[in-house]
Amino acid sequence: MRRRSIFKLSAAAAALATLNACGGASSEEPGGDADGPKQVTVGVIPIVDVAPIYLGKEKGFFSARGIDLSLVAAQGGSAIVPGVLSGEFQFGFSNITSLMIAQTKNVPVKVVANGAASTGQAGKDFGGVAVRKGSPITSASALSGRRVAVNTLKNIGDTTVRESVRKAGGDPDDIEFVEIAFPDMPAALESGQVDAAWVVEPQLSTVKAAGATVIASTFTDTAPNLTIAAYFAGTKLIADDPALVKGFTEAVNESLAYADGHPDEVRAVLSSYTKISEEVRSALILPKWPVEINRASLETLAGLGETDGIFGDATPDLGKLLP
Amino acid sequence: MRGRLALGLAGLAGFLLILEVIPRLGLVSSRYLPPATEIVGALGRELAETAFWTALRDTLNGWVLGLLIAAVAGIALGLLIGAVPLLRELTASTIEFLRPIPSVALIPLVVVLLGTGLESKLVLVVYAAFWQILVQVLYGVRDVDPVADETARAYGLDRSARIVHVLWPTALPFVMTGLRLAAAVALILCVTGELVIGAPGLGTRIAIAQTSGAVADMYALIVVTGLLGVAINVGARAVERRALRWHQSVRSEAAV
Repeated sequence: MRRRSIFKLSAAAAALATLNACGGASSEEPGGDADGPKQVTVGVIPIVDVAPIYLGKEKGFFSARGIDLSLVAAQGGSAIVPGVLSGEFQFGFSNITSLMIAQTKNVPVKVVANGAASTGQAGKDFGGVAVRKGSPITSASALSGRRVAVNTLKNIGDTTVRESVRKAGGDPDDIEFVEIAFPDMPAALESGQVDAAWVVEPQLSTVKAAGATVIASTFTDTAPNLTIAAYFAGTKLIADDPALVKGFTEAVNESLAYADGHPDEVRAVLSSYTKISEEVRSALILPKWPVEINRASLETLAGLGETDGIFGDATPDLGKLLP
Repeated sequence: MRGRLALGLAGLAGFLLILEVIPRLGLVSSRYLPPATEIVGALGRELAETAFWTALRDTLNGWVLGLLIAAVAGIALGLLIGAVPLLRELTASTIEFLRPIPSVALIPLVVVLLGTGLESKLVLVVYAAFWQILVQVLYGVRDVDPVADETARAYGLDRSARIVHVLWPTALPFVMTGLRLAAAVALILCVTGELVIGAPGLGTRIAIAQTSGAVADMYALIVVTGLLGVAINVGARAVERRALRWHQSVRSEAAV
């Protein structure tokens, strides 16, 4: 066993070295013969945003296209991207800034379908900056010099918060961002560890129930109808099995359109893969699920990310990343 | 024995009472620490769900498999390395180097190599549990009484007979200690792997409850993992007592 461990370590080093060449050790290729349904595994984060794909699976949009869909709830994009590269997942779900960061690092992934988008309505979006009850902060401009919680530093959270502050006339460079996981934000906000928190549903509902006020809808401040997340695949799969990718894209698109038109069914399907309480489920703000990726909004987002320096010296190539 | 059990239960009741009172008094917001009664209610709801039992089975599967692999490998390699002085010299520094590496530090690596399923979880569990057993076995082998060994030789026992009659009985108490430690560590790593990697099991359910803001459910699941830990420890001690009935450490305990 000791030897096996050593073997694993060296094998791991080799695998990491060839990661960019998409050399995975996992062998589960999307198999199945031409007639039978294809086994497809998708890595998702068990949050509100991915409700359409759960709903679409229930409605048979995937099986109708010969796709036997399994959804695997992973802990965040950091587990999903390696999973897609190694072939464990054929597709994955990720926020768009993370995909842009991956693209600037030449990770061979490409968007195949839209994921989730802002509602486009200020004050009624599924994410925003909240301050606790009785906070002296009443507008985004007052966030300068304050501690603001985001779930991940150098990602979509801080970029869009800065834009809100900029638009409100504040100094975006003077915000102290603190990395706190979404589930921990309500407590951090209430206890005063942070002055404000960039939260999304369902924690947005939690903090509002505790008396917090939403002072900025960062997605709507960034761009109208901002695209926030997307489904993606490795470029190898896209080259090797275009028919599968086409079928998946169509099924996701049908799911998105269906979810957008049937919010009650979306709220119901949430109970199948989350433990969000019924009270919160019936009232939370759902994202929009347009089929079209809003390219203009992503150009804005990429530009802002570049200004903030989250891509290092690189510039994301949206032509390569988007379908 | 009955007195100890009563005291233990009284301690548990006291703990539950404190857990009930602290949020009720508002010392900690009940949004973040629900009172014990709410946690118990959530536990009841969990027990009624089939998905919970599937998760429990996944966790126990990983635990049993991981512990089994670690035990077989740890005992076999431990006896081999311990019995051959040259091997012991050769491997001593390597073992001391590899042993302290926290299993969780291997997470990024196993995700890339093996994905987010059972295999990844097993690697973490085996890696953590293996060293516990191996090191104990090595100590056990070193503990062999030279006089007993010489006596066995003088009576013409061959190598395999000496392993069965001298080496193994000496090492067994150490092996049992190693197994008990490894059993607890294996459970910890199982749940950790599920929490962090997302391999199916109780840990994944805890993570889902956490992201959903279902605080009482999250504590209920944590309580389940705690109870599992207690059960595993009690079970390991029982096995230990049974296997070491003849050993003085257990015989003196039996008087209680």
